[in-house]
Amino acid sequence: MAARSKHVGHYIHQNSRLIFSHFEHLLVRRNLGGIAAVCQRNAPVQRESADAIVVPRKKTWSKEAVLQALAATVKRDPTAPHYMFQDDPYLTPRTSGEFKLYSLSQQSGIMAAKHVINTNPKFFQKDFAEPHIPCLMPETIELRIEDVSEAALLERITLRKVKAAVDMYDQLLQAGTTVSTDATNDLLDLICLYGDHDPVQDDKPETEDVDDARRRKGRPRRAADLVKVVWRENNNAERIFNLLPERNSRAFSALIRGMVKYGAHMKAFNTYTDMLNNRLTADVHTFNALISATTEVREKYNDKWDLVVDLLKQMNEQKVKPNLLTFNAVLKALRRCGPLAKGQSLHTLSEMKALGIAPSLASFHHLLGIFYKSVSSSQGQTEILQEVLTEVAGKTFVPQDPDDVYFFSTAIRICLETKDLESAYRVHNLLNVGENWRLLGDSFQQSIYYGRIFNLLCMMEHIDVVLKWYKELIPSLYYPNTQGMKDLLQALDTDNRLDMIPQIWKDIRRMGHDNKADLVEEMLSLMARDRHSPEVQESFAVCALDVRSLYEHGQGAKMALEWSITAMTNITTILLAAQKNKQAWDMLKLFKTKNRVPSEALIEEFLVRIKDSQQAVELVQISASFCLENTSNLVKRVLQTFELSEEQRSILSELEVTTHINE
Amino acid sequence: MYRRLLVSVCQTRHRALHSYTRESCLRSSECDRTLLIGRHANQRVFNAFGTSSVAYCEKKDETLPLKDTGVVQDGVQKEAVQMVGEKLVELQDAVETAAGRSEQRVNLEMVVGQKSETVEEIIVKTNELNQHQDVNMEVVNNIVEDKVAKQTPQQRYTTQQGTDVIPEEQIQPVKSGKEGLLQLLGAMKVDVTNKRKQKSLKVQRSSEGPARPQTEAMESTFSMFQEASGMADVSAPTARHALSAKLVAAASAAASVLPNKAKAESELLKKLRQHEAVGEAQKNGDNIGVIISDMKVGRRPNVRHKARPANPIQFDDDGRGYTHDRGITAELDGGLRRRSLFTGKRLSIFTPRFEAEADKDLARPTLWDVDFANNVAQSATQLPRNGFEEMIQWTKEGKLWQYPVDNEAGLEEESQVPFYEHVFLEKHLEEGFPRQGPIRHFMELVVSGLAKNPYYTVQQKRDHINWFRDYFKQKEEVLKESEVRLGQAPRNLINHPGMGWSRVSCEVNVQLFQMLPWSQFRAGKSGIVHVSFITGRVALCQSA
Repeated sequence: MAARSKHVGHYIHQNSRLIFSHFEHLLVRRNLGGIAAVCQRNAPVQRESADAIVVPRKKTWSKEAVLQALAATVKRDPTAPHYMFQDDPYLTPRTSGEFKLYSLSQQSGIMAAKHVINTNPKFFQKDFAEPHIPCLMPETIELRIEDVSEAALLERITLRKVKAAVDMYDQLLQAGTTVSTDATNDLLDLICLYGDHDPVQDDKPETEDVDDARRRKGRPRRAADLVKVVWRENNNAERIFNLLPERNSRAFSALIRGMVKYGAHMKAFNTYTDMLNNRLTADVHTFNALISATTEVREKYNDKWDLVVDLLKQMNEQKVKPNLLTFNAVLKALRRCGPLAKGQSLHTLSEMKALGIAPSLASFHHLLGIFYKSVSSSQGQTEILQEVLTEVAGKTFVPQDPDDVYFFSTAIRICLETKDLESAYRVHNLLNVGENWRLLGDSFQQSIYYGRIFNLLCMMEHIDVVLKWYKELIPSLYYPNTQGMKDLLQALDTDNRLDMIPQIWKDIRRMGHDNKADLVEEMLSLMARDRHSPEVQESFAVCALDVRSLYEHGQGAKMALEWSITAMTNITTILLAAQKNKQAWDMLKLFKTKNRVPSEALIEEFLVRIKDSQQAVELVQISASFCLENTSNLVKRVLQTFELSEEQRSILSELEVTTHINE
Repeated sequence: MYRRLLVSVCQTRHRALHSYTRESCLRSSECDRTLLIGRHANQRVFNAFGTSSVAYCEKKDETLPLKDTGVVQDGVQKEAVQMVGEKLVELQDAVETAAGRSEQRVNLEMVVGQKSETVEEIIVKTNELNQHQDVNMEVVNNIVEDKVAKQTPQQRYTTQQGTDVIPEEQIQPVKSGKEGLLQLLGAMKVDVTNKRKQKSLKVQRSSEGPARPQTEAMESTFSMFQEASGMADVSAPTARHALSAKLVAAASAAASVLPNKAKAESELLKKLRQHEAVGEAQKNGDNIGVIISDMKVGRRPNVRHKARPANPIQFDDDGRGYTHDRGITAELDGGLRRRSLFTGKRLSIFTPRFEAEADKDLARPTLWDVDFANNVAQSATQLPRNGFEEMIQWTKEGKLWQYPVDNEAGLEEESQVPFYEHVFLEKHLEEGFPRQGPIRHFMELVVSGLAKNPYYTVQQKRDHINWFRDYFKQKEEVLKESEVRLGQAPRNLINHPGMGWSRVSCEVNVQLFQMLPWSQFRAGKSGIVHVSFITGRVALCQSA
């Protein structure tokens, strides 16, 4: 700005002296910027002096603004591994298992370092950083104040040591000290938040087990954590609460929230009644907790909903302003309210709109959950998905509710169930708006999301587009499972692009799915089924030989595949089709060693290909050794088509006799 | 009308069967066509067709594999009969006469199954039921007559025979009559396949308490009609005169058999209107196109699809009860459908208030708030995708010096201090320094130097001034002893720290300099020294 005005000023100074002659005596001594300022100030004033001057508001930039702008210029490279793994190309993951392992090991390394630092703070006192960086210094996790005082209690509360805090409180009471209301409330908050158990520290090794559990169950770990702890009868929270001389609404609130969090729903409502009897009013968080508990305390759909409405009315009476979480809780409760949910959920949305509360992704997630409960009832409800997508299109969402992250996988599930490709594209576009990708959830949610979208694409989209997406998504974002690869193979089959199979096979090997018998067999059967051009057959044969070596030797630590009859037949057929008679002949011998019986059609196929009479006789011998039914037929054909020596003839006639005897 | 409907249903079913068999084998290239249909189907809007028939289309998809197993169906029928009791034997006979044709048989058996269920629930005597059925068939025939006027009187006659041998085409009105009755009474579309698959469940339920399903069914029916009333009211004025007086009379006759007469009658009439609406919709719409467009063609039989019972009663996802997703609710949704999500009526519990609320939100965050914020943040934590995002993360964690976005970058502790605290430092000279004289003069120079120093914090500047204050206080005796004439100010004394390396040459009053901290200097012969300062430290060099 300054530079530009300077130029303008310079220009004016040089060329427009006549115009500004009356300024001249003033201007000469000024620098050029000054001239510009004068000119600029004067010009608009002459024209629009009536207009009030609008002082622009100061623009405050966040400290990451520049970095964000820079980051926005970087596009994802679909050929590169995730950024996390770029430091060490040796550790570039190729399978989902490796991805999980490497990312978790990185995290656990960070955690281990933190653990060492925090447990040995005395070795890490030197502060090199200028200015000071607090997060690099050891955190105090040990208690410092030993004597019995309220300060000690507060310290235990801030360090989240539930048991120690309760002990301290008891000691204080025994010593006859009165604890201030704030401290008591904090203590109750602490106990109720952690359900009267010491919280699992972040830097403890337990998290490893949690990750295991999460992998096994396939559910986010928070749910597992909550189930573990239950609200016990007369636990410390209730005990301390009962000891309180005067119970304020914050204490009640803490108790109710704790009860709801740890599954004592009935009790929470009783406590709420107590609270009303004490002429206290609840805050919005308490109501949110109670609303989320309604589905547990009532059996019938109508009763559940009536209770929710009742709570909302009480909120209104008590002049409590509902927030987004209130309505999300209502919508979540409605998911369990059966048939009346559909109408009421829309009314709830309208209510949100009337109150000026913008729904978050979690609201839409619940809404979709209400309207698309099961596969068959999703018929005829696609409009809701459309409307939701219209509503959210192009908007940037910030995380406001822990359930926000389930929206994308839910939406794409519905698209998959209704086979709605258009909507799927819209969902995916929404994901690319702004920071919305952050709301895709953890890696488990992400793999579900991408798995579903890839499944849908394979099903509905033309193969060229599918392959484009394939290159885009795999393997930088998504490591498909066996089913995903099967879908892809079927899509290739549908659009007659089987010639892509060798390429896909490379990916399959890279992603470690080459030990999945069903996938490999499906691929072989696709390759063996039809006739193709010689080049394609050639590439198929290479691929088949690759598969054969895999069957024979296995692969490192992985188990070698068990030969199945179809796999062997298919490989042999592919090799025959590619004119690789020798390898095919080897395969035929392999049947014998693996105790498998080739099909008659395969033998026929061989007979067509064979040029050498000796081989033909051998083939008949093999066929006879398997006791195939059409051996006699084969003998006839060999006798007709090949020029045979006497010896060979005798062998054949012998075989014919034996087969007749067998029959 | 209904015959047309049936034909289309059959066609649809054939096609569904076709596609189904194709699905079940590996995808051949032929599948393309069905695939295309499926794609079309998904883009088309679902509506306008009688929900029951659509439900049939839906169901056909999934019940087909079981269709031709007549034995199984007989078994099922037996079971149904068991549950109903012996009162329905005649009815079953009627069904069996029609059993020759497998297609219709499925339909009819379904209907009978449904009917038996209904009858079981409301416990009506069989003869009553038959009477009922006749009446209702009459009603339906009237509808058919009124609106379609397609059937010959002869056909109508055979229809009224009811349980006689029925020509192939005529089974449809019977079916629809029964269906109408069924929907009126129970509005519960529990069909044969349902029973087969949920056999154990059903038995269990009936053994638990025979009264419960009844109440449930009635309850849901009533709630449904309550819901429906909203829609019906809208269309009532147009619909009412559309129903002929004959129809109304027939309906009231039918209702008189039921215990709650008035209610039943009104419900019957409502149902009739609905039928009419459906008929209208079908007349207008392209039936087969709609049916086909509603078909869902999956290319691969999904395991989950199979595992789910192919009937309208299903478990909720949370496993807490049933969702009764039946035709009428779907129609209701159709009626209530709105342009946007937010234009519907609201709960009207809260009154929007626009007053500024900044009262209690300012309270210090409790542990709950912290925990919630953590949860939300953790749910949306993603690994950085590129180096810049990693730097953003580090910046947020405080590990990285923030990228300068303005001239005040890095002024964390000074960000709250206004500039005039830095520049106007004279006020610190108010106390502890003489009003005038060389010390005052010196200090003014110090202050002007400090004012131009961009590197010191305000506190450091104050400390600097304070140091001089203390120093002069300590040296007060020295000053007095040496009888310095404080009133005489040295000219052009010093340029103070802050200008960095400024080299000042000045004439100095030697005496004054001797009392200054840097008194180790030696004055030159001329008494002129070069003084250079680096931020408060003084190095003196003798001038040449």
